[in-house]
Amino acid sequence: MPESEIELRDVRKVYYKDRIDIPVLEGLNLSVPAGEFAVLMGPSGSGKSTLLHLIGGLDSPTSGSIRVADSNLEQMNERELTAWRSRNVGFIFQMYHLVPVLTAAQNVELPLLLFRMPSSERRKRVATALGVVGLGDRMDHRPNQLSGGQEQRVAIARAIVTDPRMILADEPTGDLDAKTSEEILNLLNTLNTEFGKTILMVTHDPRAASHGQRLLHLDKGVLERDERTPARAPAAVS
Amino acid sequence: MALPLKYHWRNLFVRKATTVLTILVIAAVIGVFTWVTGFNSALKSSLAVASDDRKILVLKRGSTSETNSAIPVDEYAKLNQLTEMARDPNSNEPLLSPEMMTQLSRPRIRDEGKTWGNIAMRGVTDAAFKVHSNVKLISGRQFSTGAQELIVGATTARQFSGLNIGDELQLGYSGNREYTIVGTFSASGGPMESEVWGYLPSLLNSYNRTMYSSAALRIKDGVDPERVLKEIEGPAIQMSAWTEPAYWKAQTENIGKYLVVTSILVTAMALAAIFSIANTMFSMVAGRTREVAMLRTIGFSQTAILAGFVIEAVFLSVIGGILGCIGCMAWLAEMGNTKDMFGASSFTSLAFDIHLTAWTVGTALAAVVIVGVVGALVPAMRASRVAVISALREP
Repeated sequence: MPESEIELRDVRKVYYKDRIDIPVLEGLNLSVPAGEFAVLMGPSGSGKSTLLHLIGGLDSPTSGSIRVADSNLEQMNERELTAWRSRNVGFIFQMYHLVPVLTAAQNVELPLLLFRMPSSERRKRVATALGVVGLGDRMDHRPNQLSGGQEQRVAIARAIVTDPRMILADEPTGDLDAKTSEEILNLLNTLNTEFGKTILMVTHDPRAASHGQRLLHLDKGVLERDERTPARAPAAVS
Repeated sequence: MALPLKYHWRNLFVRKATTVLTILVIAAVIGVFTWVTGFNSALKSSLAVASDDRKILVLKRGSTSETNSAIPVDEYAKLNQLTEMARDPNSNEPLLSPEMMTQLSRPRIRDEGKTWGNIAMRGVTDAAFKVHSNVKLISGRQFSTGAQELIVGATTARQFSGLNIGDELQLGYSGNREYTIVGTFSASGGPMESEVWGYLPSLLNSYNRTMYSSAALRIKDGVDPERVLKEIEGPAIQMSAWTEPAYWKAQTENIGKYLVVTSILVTAMALAAIFSIANTMFSMVAGRTREVAMLRTIGFSQTAILAGFVIEAVFLSVIGGILGCIGCMAWLAEMGNTKDMFGASSFTSLAFDIHLTAWTVGTALAAVVIVGVVGALVPAMRASRVAVISALREP
């Protein structure tokens, strides 16, 4: 049994708005082993994205403990979390969030600028990451010269270029047609199976969810179901 | 770790119209700022030349400028009793110069004669060149004793037409005395370079005058000028006197006021430039909250984001600043770099050569960087504090 890459214990998250407590997550316990491709599903407002943000160190829990990639996130301050994210997590967003004034290669290079690294090494890593997502020939294209699917591939290359331990994807196919969605999901599968990345993906789409190895159903802040999909086995973690 | 400069540079041109407008506002402010700084520095260096406190200027009691002063020859003679006056080492003559002041009017070169300016014309004797020792002939020759000839200050010659060597002017009380320009002089850039000089008895005669306007004298080294001033103003002589720096400071008082008004105007313009930059940066931040949230998500710190927006504002302001300096240089090249202003009560021109020195341009660019940083600070702080999660969810 591989050790847990993500470990949540009694995690509660309550938002306070207009003098009213709005509980989003209610005492959540979750363990995701390294190398697993887990999918978070549930209706809108069920707490999926909040859970993803907590695991990604973008938000902090009201109570409970979150241990991700060997770090206790609830004990870290903003500056430490920022540095931790840059080393351990690759984010993929529904709307890609590429910088329009930079080329594909320059977008992918952004996370590498946070590390001390010679520019030749950066160029090599950018070429490798864009090669993995099949866009080695689109390095000098700006986002507005790419299709939606290609933009998401660039975003994936940006997420993996620092070789993070896990990838957190928030509705990565939510803005794409069925065929392109399938290509993106296959790419995530490849990152999981061939590169051993732990992936946690939020989606509304059952077809997208079928690409994961484990389905986590959230409803009203509670983990209602936790089931394995039959088709795929977890990736071997190196 | 900072974001790459090309990221900031390219972002400037995403909103081209706003960026160009902001740059133009800054260019205008810095253009005026550079001109005012250059003028200020020219005025200061001109007055610095006139800072010889061994030189005393004497007027009729109660007069404040040479144009409304008249000293009868017998009263002028009383000045010879001053014991503290320096003497010429060769002739042992006292360094005392009787002078007459009048004006002549000439068309300005810069607007091709559409406007005319009054020029101070001074009648002097040989003694003047010993008392005003910084006055030196730079071209042509000295006016001849008894002749109707003039020499022209170099700044004035550049600024007004018809004042070149060989040019002839109709002067005198009835305008029927023909004077010829025979030379040009410098006064080390001091106020006297704005004048025209001629032989004193000739000018007195041409203007039907019997009295001098003023006297200039040089005191011995080591003598307290205040003591000499008191003596001149005292019962034995009863005239008004100033040291040269005090006299020129009073004469340029209204130019100082003009500079204060211009400086207030430039400050107001600088505030407008700060608001213009702030406005542009606020719109840049508003249009890029998702982008900022993404950068924060992947690991860029708040400081990196703040610094990034400040760098963009500094880019904007420095481009504007450089254009402003170039604009000011072009203006000076096109319109001439000599500016003339009225003295306080003489109604004659004091001309200054405005040169954009490295110091002037450096001051302008330093000012523009401050404008950029101040203008960017609040929007940049807002950007650095973007609520990451809600910004990522923005449509």
